[in-house]
Amino acid sequence: MSRSIGTLRVDWPACRARGLCAELLPEHVVLDEWGYPVVAGDLEAQTEPAAREAVAACPHRALRLVTELGRP
Amino acid sequence: MLQLPCRDRELQVGRGPLLLSQLDSGPGLTAHRAHFGDVPERTLPQLLDAARLGGVRGRGGAGFPLARKLEAVSAGRRPVVVVNAAEGEPASAKDSALLRTVPHLVLDGAHVAARALGAREVHVVTATDRPETGRALEAALAERGRRPVTWTHHVAEPRFVSGQSRAVLELMAGRAGLPVTSWVPEATSGHRGRPTLLSNAETFAHLAVLAARGVECYTGHGTSAEPGTTLLTVTREQDDGRRSSHVVEVAHGEPLAAVLGSPELERPVLAGGYHGTWVAPQQLRGLRVSATAFREQGLTLGAGVLLPGSDRTCPVAVTTRVTDYLARQSAGRCGPCHEGLPALAQAVARLRGGSDTRPRIRELTGLVTRRGACAHPDGTARMVSSLLTGLPEAVQAHLEGACSCAARGRAAAYEERSERS
Repeated sequence: MSRSIGTLRVDWPACRARGLCAELLPEHVVLDEWGYPVVAGDLEAQTEPAAREAVAACPHRALRLVTELGRP
Repeated sequence: MLQLPCRDRELQVGRGPLLLSQLDSGPGLTAHRAHFGDVPERTLPQLLDAARLGGVRGRGGAGFPLARKLEAVSAGRRPVVVVNAAEGEPASAKDSALLRTVPHLVLDGAHVAARALGAREVHVVTATDRPETGRALEAALAERGRRPVTWTHHVAEPRFVSGQSRAVLELMAGRAGLPVTSWVPEATSGHRGRPTLLSNAETFAHLAVLAARGVECYTGHGTSAEPGTTLLTVTREQDDGRRSSHVVEVAHGEPLAAVLGSPELERPVLAGGYHGTWVAPQQLRGLRVSATAFREQGLTLGAGVLLPGSDRTCPVAVTTRVTDYLARQSAGRCGPCHEGLPALAQAVARLRGGSDTRPRIRELTGLVTRRGACAHPDGTARMVSSLLTGLPEAVQAHLEGACSCAARGRAAAYEERSERS
């Protein structure tokens, strides 16, 4: 069991339901009936690269990786 | 009881033990000083002690301990103080009542906090739909000098979500006062990036009473676990939109019977306002005015709103009306709220129409929760969920045509028949 490296958070006013996050990170993101992401679970170290790719791919920069250290 | 002219309701304010102890001599500064004395100067450690010993929690609904907020705000650069009296909840009237009857108590609380924190600016936010409140604030500010703190009055659009803390900061920044995603708490980085003490108007009034009267006097009211008092707004709403609100100050630990009539205790009450929870009559008995007691039963007192029913109200019908209103109050910026609340309102309306949409309602409340920049979808989902979990018999009775809606339908049909004959 590896340690959680953080969580994904959605900037809801920015999200436009493009759905790239669900395509790139299906193990953590599914889409609801309107196409908006339902993000589940803490991220583990091995999913970090895919998570960062999903964050970078969002055309509205609406997905963020909030790390434990980055938390206020 | 003081009757205040109000354009959208009948508004009455009752005399109370601490905050509302000075209602007869008017809202002026001279009368206020005669009653409460000069504005006290307190150091930050003194104020922290008072807030801690007084057990003061935020009165905007979230109930966060004020002492912890003060500590967080004091940790960095020179802070800013914000008094939130936007009161977007239409069923609430307590912040409005405070600013119209004892504005200087609220302003003294902000003054004391600002001085202890080293803040120079205090911002006060009211909303355009309560113009009498804004005017009362302006009149009070005109009586106070601009030293040692400067006062700025902001007026928010009349929206349910206008009082949400990030929406207030947006308004102060000169943008549309709508909620945005918060990545850092405003206590750390709020107005212009400064640590910001943003609290509800009533919270500041409690701080002022603590500073003026002392901890011992304050904790002489309430219980040892929850000292002091709280303001409650008891709002009675008619189907045609007419409403009357009674604002009362009650010591923590008082029975609900102190503020609700005995027939009202025999019927479901929506406690905590439109984002609140339905309370069944069997739970109401023995329930006391206490945020903790409510929380322990899975209920919320929120910002202190109680909506009792009459023999003409069916909780399903009330929930339909409130959910429809809340769905229309979505700022429309966050997808799950923009899409989900109208869908939820529709599912509740279908329940009212007699279809058993309970599974769809459960699905939708789950889908909107924690999926927005502010807590509007969460609060709406909580209120609707509490109808199903807290009042299952009432929902069943409605679906079986055995509630007051059906009785009224039969009465209407009977009247129609007698008119025809």
